[in-house]
Amino acid sequence: MLLELQNISKQFDQKVVLENINLTINSGEIVSLLGPSGSGKTTLLNIILGLTKIEQGKVIFNDEDVSHVAMKNRGFNIVFQDYALFPHLNAYENIVYGLRNKKEGASAEDVREYIDFLELKPHLKKRIGELSGGQKQRVALARTLVTKPKLLLLDEPLSALDGVIKESIKERIKSIAKEFNLTTIIVTHDPEEALTISDKILIINQGNISQFGTPFEIINQPKNDFVKEFILRQLQIKRQNIFHLFGEKYA
Amino acid sequence: MRNAKPEIRIIFIIILLLFFAFLFIPLIVLFLRSFMMEDGGIGLSNYIASLTNDALIHAIGNSFKVSGVTAIITTTLAFALAYAVNCTKIYQPLKGAVKIGILIPMLIPTITYGFAIMYTFGNQGLLTKLFGRNLFEIYGFNGLLIGYVIYTLPAAFLLIHNSFKYIDKKFIIVSKLMGDRTLRSFWNTVTRPLLGALGGAFVLSFILSFTDFGIPASLGGTYDVVATQLYQAMLGSIPDFSEGAVIAVLMLFPAVIGIFLLNYLERFNFHYDKFSETEITSSKFRDSFYGVISAIILLGMLSIFAVMFITPFVTAFPYDLSFTWEHIAGVFQSNDLVSVYKNSLIVAVLTAVLGTVIAYGSALLNARTKVKGRQTVDVFSMITNTVPGMVLGLSYLLLFNGSSLKGTFLIIVLCNIMHYFTTPYLMAKNALTKMNPGWETSGELLGDSWVKTVYRVILPNSISTVLEMFSYYFMNAMVTISGVIFLVSAQTTVVASKINELQHFAQFNEIFVLSVLIFLTNLLVRSVCEVLQKKVEIYKK
Repeated sequence: MLLELQNISKQFDQKVVLENINLTINSGEIVSLLGPSGSGKTTLLNIILGLTKIEQGKVIFNDEDVSHVAMKNRGFNIVFQDYALFPHLNAYENIVYGLRNKKEGASAEDVREYIDFLELKPHLKKRIGELSGGQKQRVALARTLVTKPKLLLLDEPLSALDGVIKESIKERIKSIAKEFNLTTIIVTHDPEEALTISDKILIINQGNISQFGTPFEIINQPKNDFVKEFILRQLQIKRQNIFHLFGEKYA
Repeated sequence: MRNAKPEIRIIFIIILLLFFAFLFIPLIVLFLRSFMMEDGGIGLSNYIASLTNDALIHAIGNSFKVSGVTAIITTTLAFALAYAVNCTKIYQPLKGAVKIGILIPMLIPTITYGFAIMYTFGNQGLLTKLFGRNLFEIYGFNGLLIGYVIYTLPAAFLLIHNSFKYIDKKFIIVSKLMGDRTLRSFWNTVTRPLLGALGGAFVLSFILSFTDFGIPASLGGTYDVVATQLYQAMLGSIPDFSEGAVIAVLMLFPAVIGIFLLNYLERFNFHYDKFSETEITSSKFRDSFYGVISAIILLGMLSIFAVMFITPFVTAFPYDLSFTWEHIAGVFQSNDLVSVYKNSLIVAVLTAVLGTVIAYGSALLNARTKVKGRQTVDVFSMITNTVPGMVLGLSYLLLFNGSSLKGTFLIIVLCNIMHYFTTPYLMAKNALTKMNPGWETSGELLGDSWVKTVYRVILPNSISTVLEMFSYYFMNAMVTISGVIFLVSAQTTVVASKINELQHFAQFNEIFVLSVLIFLTNLLVRSVCEVLQKKVEIYKK
């Protein structure tokens, strides 16, 4: 199973948002799309999802050209940054929302498994407004997983969460990918997040690929000034601050 | 961009067709008719004839005068009330009473105000008796002024009250701490941020008074205004369609200018990005001043309506004040009046149901789809906001006079839907815009079609707004007279237009009974909607 992007370019009203994106993602990998706001990473995510149409380039999934396949028929699914949970339904009703429509979706046993796995059992009867940020994130993940997506897309999954929750959701996403062998693509603007969660990172700057590689490659062989200045520099400052806090002996 | 789905296109086409058939074409026909001469040619002779007609010119002058004075008084009173509610620490229940009491006039047809004023200030009126003499001549300017002020006060109050919500009251404290004196502080923190709303309230009151028919129909006397001139031209002894068309266009004119002014005044509104609830500072003098003012306004208004509730229950107001059910029973025994009330109910329910569907559908297209040309719905809403009910009704009369629509409930319902379209549309648009933009995509990814997502997600999350739209349409359809006066037939007469007939037979008891019926019906619908709204409120975060 693999996803291949060939020569993808996108313009909005003559403004180039993405230029010549070529990329191959292997089955079961977690890949982050990392870049500053306005870099085109969300557009790329929407193109893969099928929400945004492309005029140039191809999206190939398992050797099949899906460039012009409608969003609904691609079999991918997304968790939005703000989760887009339906507030008139409770957590459980949100999770099983898609079951009515998809026969090939999860069985009752699968649903139970997802709920257990995401530790949502105590929260099933709660209204969306009563859930914490982390709980909402897990409900949204469950609602998406229930449709058995072939590709999981996550738009800034951690940005609305704080501190400890952030780390635990990070682990959760990693284990979902491993447990269900689910190829996962994550959009983020936070280098630390990208480098600690993913197998590979695609750094995008002004619509172009700056570098595509494993966290190790990016740290040790930054390809250009952008990667050095904006990605590594931030991490170095963070590292310094943390060393400073704990003292050099922890270095 | 996504291509619009077929079901979205179909809805859009239906809405476009509706607005063309029942808004654009009637107005175009009206416009052409005003230029059509007796020999069938096109020219300005109708306008020349009308504008050299002293009676009409005089009526236009009267309309401007009385509407202008109304607008000044209404804006001042509405501001005082809104200020009392939002920026003072007056007795809490009084605030509640103001917020609810001010809405009472909206539940009653304007034509009834006239008779209530007569029974209060007239020769045998309640207040006249109390004071032992006539306070002033009510037929003509004074009566119209009182009627218009009562009629426009709720709308003006709501507009200013709403704007107050978006004003950060913290600035009042900041201004005080900076050492501003009372006047300067008042100007900078209250008046200046509200300037747009105050101007809006003025323009709105002016247009409403200028185009209302109910109040001059009952109180005008010999004091002619544009609305009565239009009525006489069309339904007088010798109907003159050309003159009617000209007067309608002349009536439309100030309304159009008014709407442009309203849009222009929008710019003066302040938009504070963020604001927090702030404790209001105490001031004995301010609080007692505004407490007294709002109590007086409220009591004044209620005292006028009081007769409406007293008269039907006494034998012969004001001579014999013994209690009786006779008048009430009389109305319910009269097949004629019962069927008129039934007609009103039919019209109001149909208007509310169909109107809500159309306005909601339009807002859905505009706010939550990418269908090409969806901005046209905003244009429709601006036009329906501009066209006075009488003008719309007249244009329907001209266009559909020969068709099978004439004299049906449907034509009245359609006229009401168009006439009152703007507010429910904006309610829905506002609510739909605020919803999470990802819902349709989520629904689609979870296997829903667009219609299914609307039904399963969008609609359940906007039930509160739908109820609000429903009750708005219902209440207005119940009370409107200017919109339907040209469209009712003997079989489709509604309460408001029946009252206009009853006054010629001096059947005031029946008038008040019917008015109370409308009032209670509206109150019931409104209360039921509010209870239902509270029930669904729990979904809100």
